[in-house]
Amino acid sequence: MPQLTVDGRLVEFKLGEKVIEVAKRAGVFIPYFCYHPGLSVVAQCRMCAVEIEKMPKLQTACSTLAAEGMVVHTRSEKALQNQKSVMEFLLINHPLDCPICDKSGECDLQDFSYDYGDPYSRYTEERRTYIDVDMGSVIQKNMNRCIHCTRCIRFGEEIAGIREMVALQRGNQTEITTIEGKPLETQYAGNYADICPTGSLGLKDFRFKKRVWMLKKTPTICEGCSRGCNMEIHQDSQVIYRCVPRENLEVNRYWLCDEGRFHFRSYQKDRVLFPYFKGKAVDWSLALESCRNILRGKKLLVLVGSDLTQEEITLVQEVLALDHAGSLLFHFGTPGMSSVSEDGDADGILKRKSKTSNLHGLEHLGIRGWDGLGAQAEALLVVRAGRAQWGKLPSLPSVGLGVFQESEAKQLDVILPGLNFTEKDGSVMNFQGKLQFFRRAIAPQGQSKGLAELFMMLRRDKASEVGVAS
Amino acid sequence: MSSEKSTTLFIQHFQPECRFLHYYLKEMEGYQGLKKAFGMSPSEVIEEVKSSQLRGRGGAGFPTGMKWGFIPKQSSVPKYLVCNADESEPGTFKDRDLMRYTPHLLLEGMLIGAYAIGARSGYIYIRGEYAREAVLLQEAIEEAYAARYLGSNIQGSGFDFELTVHRGAGAYICGEETALLNSLEGKRGEPRVKPPFPAQAGAFGGPTIVNNVETLACVPFILRRGGPWFAQLGKLEKSGGTRLFCLSGHVKKPGLYELPAAGVTLRELIYTYGGGILNDRKLKAVIPGGSSAPVLTAEEIDVVLDVEPLMKIGSMLGSAGVVVVSEDYCVVKLIQRIAKFYAHESCGQCTPCREGCRWMEEVLERIEHGKGRTQDLNLLLQIADNIQGKTLCALGDAAAGPVASFVKKFQSDFEAHIRGGKCPN
Repeated sequence: MPQLTVDGRLVEFKLGEKVIEVAKRAGVFIPYFCYHPGLSVVAQCRMCAVEIEKMPKLQTACSTLAAEGMVVHTRSEKALQNQKSVMEFLLINHPLDCPICDKSGECDLQDFSYDYGDPYSRYTEERRTYIDVDMGSVIQKNMNRCIHCTRCIRFGEEIAGIREMVALQRGNQTEITTIEGKPLETQYAGNYADICPTGSLGLKDFRFKKRVWMLKKTPTICEGCSRGCNMEIHQDSQVIYRCVPRENLEVNRYWLCDEGRFHFRSYQKDRVLFPYFKGKAVDWSLALESCRNILRGKKLLVLVGSDLTQEEITLVQEVLALDHAGSLLFHFGTPGMSSVSEDGDADGILKRKSKTSNLHGLEHLGIRGWDGLGAQAEALLVVRAGRAQWGKLPSLPSVGLGVFQESEAKQLDVILPGLNFTEKDGSVMNFQGKLQFFRRAIAPQGQSKGLAELFMMLRRDKASEVGVAS
Repeated sequence: MSSEKSTTLFIQHFQPECRFLHYYLKEMEGYQGLKKAFGMSPSEVIEEVKSSQLRGRGGAGFPTGMKWGFIPKQSSVPKYLVCNADESEPGTFKDRDLMRYTPHLLLEGMLIGAYAIGARSGYIYIRGEYAREAVLLQEAIEEAYAARYLGSNIQGSGFDFELTVHRGAGAYICGEETALLNSLEGKRGEPRVKPPFPAQAGAFGGPTIVNNVETLACVPFILRRGGPWFAQLGKLEKSGGTRLFCLSGHVKKPGLYELPAAGVTLRELIYTYGGGILNDRKLKAVIPGGSSAPVLTAEEIDVVLDVEPLMKIGSMLGSAGVVVVSEDYCVVKLIQRIAKFYAHESCGQCTPCREGCRWMEEVLERIEHGKGRTQDLNLLLQIADNIQGKTLCALGDAAAGPVASFVKKFQSDFEAHIRGGKCPN
């Protein structure tokens, strides 16, 4: 393998790799703004310029191909001077409003200013200002903070497949905005905020909500569709403030769709957080007793959401084998979709047709889709994690375990509140057959309990019966 | 306007009637160079151009034959020849006359170039302001199509070439070859990252050569009379042919002068050919190669006007647009105006140029209006240094070089502005 030297370290590289990537692997970080591993290279910000022996000028590490025997200096006097000057140039027209900027704390411009810039400014002229356009419901724009890296323009064209962000005017007056000031149309707009290296494009949903350094981050898997995008839940004091994508080059690369990003919001209102009987909150003893009356000794139709984890499904199967032999078990999740063969690419980007995360895992365990059969059963048990949607339920005495909305409460006789994906550990299998694990980010809300605990509570009276008999 | 010993190629034909095909065929050995090229192999044509020591007339002075040699012989995608007629450098007006009076020279040069590199289609990217010249070029192209000098099977040679005139929309940056290609493709006119260079992937992704108008207009002569003949016209080994010098500013006889390449000093051009400074005032400054060339003082004008000699003293020949400044004009105002031009024309892509050019302009404007501070001169030099050599394309250098040179060479003028609190002129 060919080798080059970066800051005295000898590194191997593959042909076609850029200096910035090779250096990163060698543990040498080269600062950058416009470069993004998931986007085309434009070498505009000039921050990553490094000194390469036998080349008269500084070379941008993002655009320079690694070559055999190359000797790269990222901290030479010339390179340091350039980083300092680029920081100065970027900041002369920046409002320096970090104290009220949501990006503050995770802002490349802010971080690199500390690491590479000068602590004072020599600029005494009037700063450039812009008037902002409204960019729709997802993104809040603040052009004054923009450093013209054009990541957003390239994201739109290259990833989201839509040319909606453009550069208007030119030179010092260049404005990065939407065509004709229209609202953003892409369903991937949240990524604009992720890739923006400053606070220029931020999430409206997150605006003024939380300082980012207070957020605790938990790795999770999006439950929005069968892709299973890797993401992070950011919470503070058990309140989720946002979800951001987590890099996984085999699944979602660096991106996340808005539907998945904001899905956690659907659990923050109108969720059934207490035991319900006939659509009304009741205490646990009444609810449990009602459940036992409905389920005890019955041949069940069991419908499980394809949003459950592999662990939960296994548990359901074991309980059925113990207590309800001969019951019928089917999965449900996306109306009109009864098997993985109907799953497929939905938009050519990330979204899949299956709107639940574990359809492939359930079929892997041998569970088939519900096609309306099973009306001859004596009672109905619905288990779901929150996102799976059903068509019309058969009119049988019914129990629901898991996460339900207030509006759904009347369709089931009894509901015992369970956990959604942010409140539990587990694993789901995506459309590639990849088993992905996620972690609990926040404590269960209200009186929700894990599926294992719900089953234990339901079986407690059975256990005491056994005890009496012996 | 040539000296008796030298030969001129173009200037005797700068008359309105010369633009027609019949004149070109009758009086200028029209399309004989092309005919000769058809009798040679493409690589022989490139060798001929290499031996002519023709170097690019657009500003960089790169040897044309060598540039053509970079084009891969085999290519799975179409190759292109593009003529850069976006003559926008302040102080430069040579390509305009070439297109106005001798358009067929350009067409023949392009045909030979296209044959040499194997391009089947070509474009002339002409600056938007040259509306009249675009019409004249189009008429010449139509003449050439009608006479089968363009189109398919040109003059029975089996060679095809389609030529299109594309008008720019008024951006200086589109004279930069990759910005030109972007603009040609209908994209925003901003330079591309290099590599890949146009010879590898240029217009529409195909291997592309971009040549200046004057460069291409030299090519027919090289084919007709041979590379060595063309080479001996120039007075330095590496510079063949003649050059069109655009003399403007405070001289008695401004205009276009065709002189042997490297055959004249700056002093000769100004005083012998240009008749000296207007109103017999003293010479203050000369910009030797269009406004992007670092300025020279009156003491530095004994330099030979060519690429290497000017480079040696820290300036450049650029597009050979010589701007003469008399002692009556304020050099601070001049550089402020030049800086304003570059700040206005910066595409805004890369950080140092976008932010730095405007910053320099603002500081210079303050100084010119008597609001300067002593530390401003150092600041200007540092900003210029932070731009130079660190930008995506040459525009940053074009803006920073002049500012640095004016501040260094005319420091006392700047200080007078700062001390006096106003422009003394």
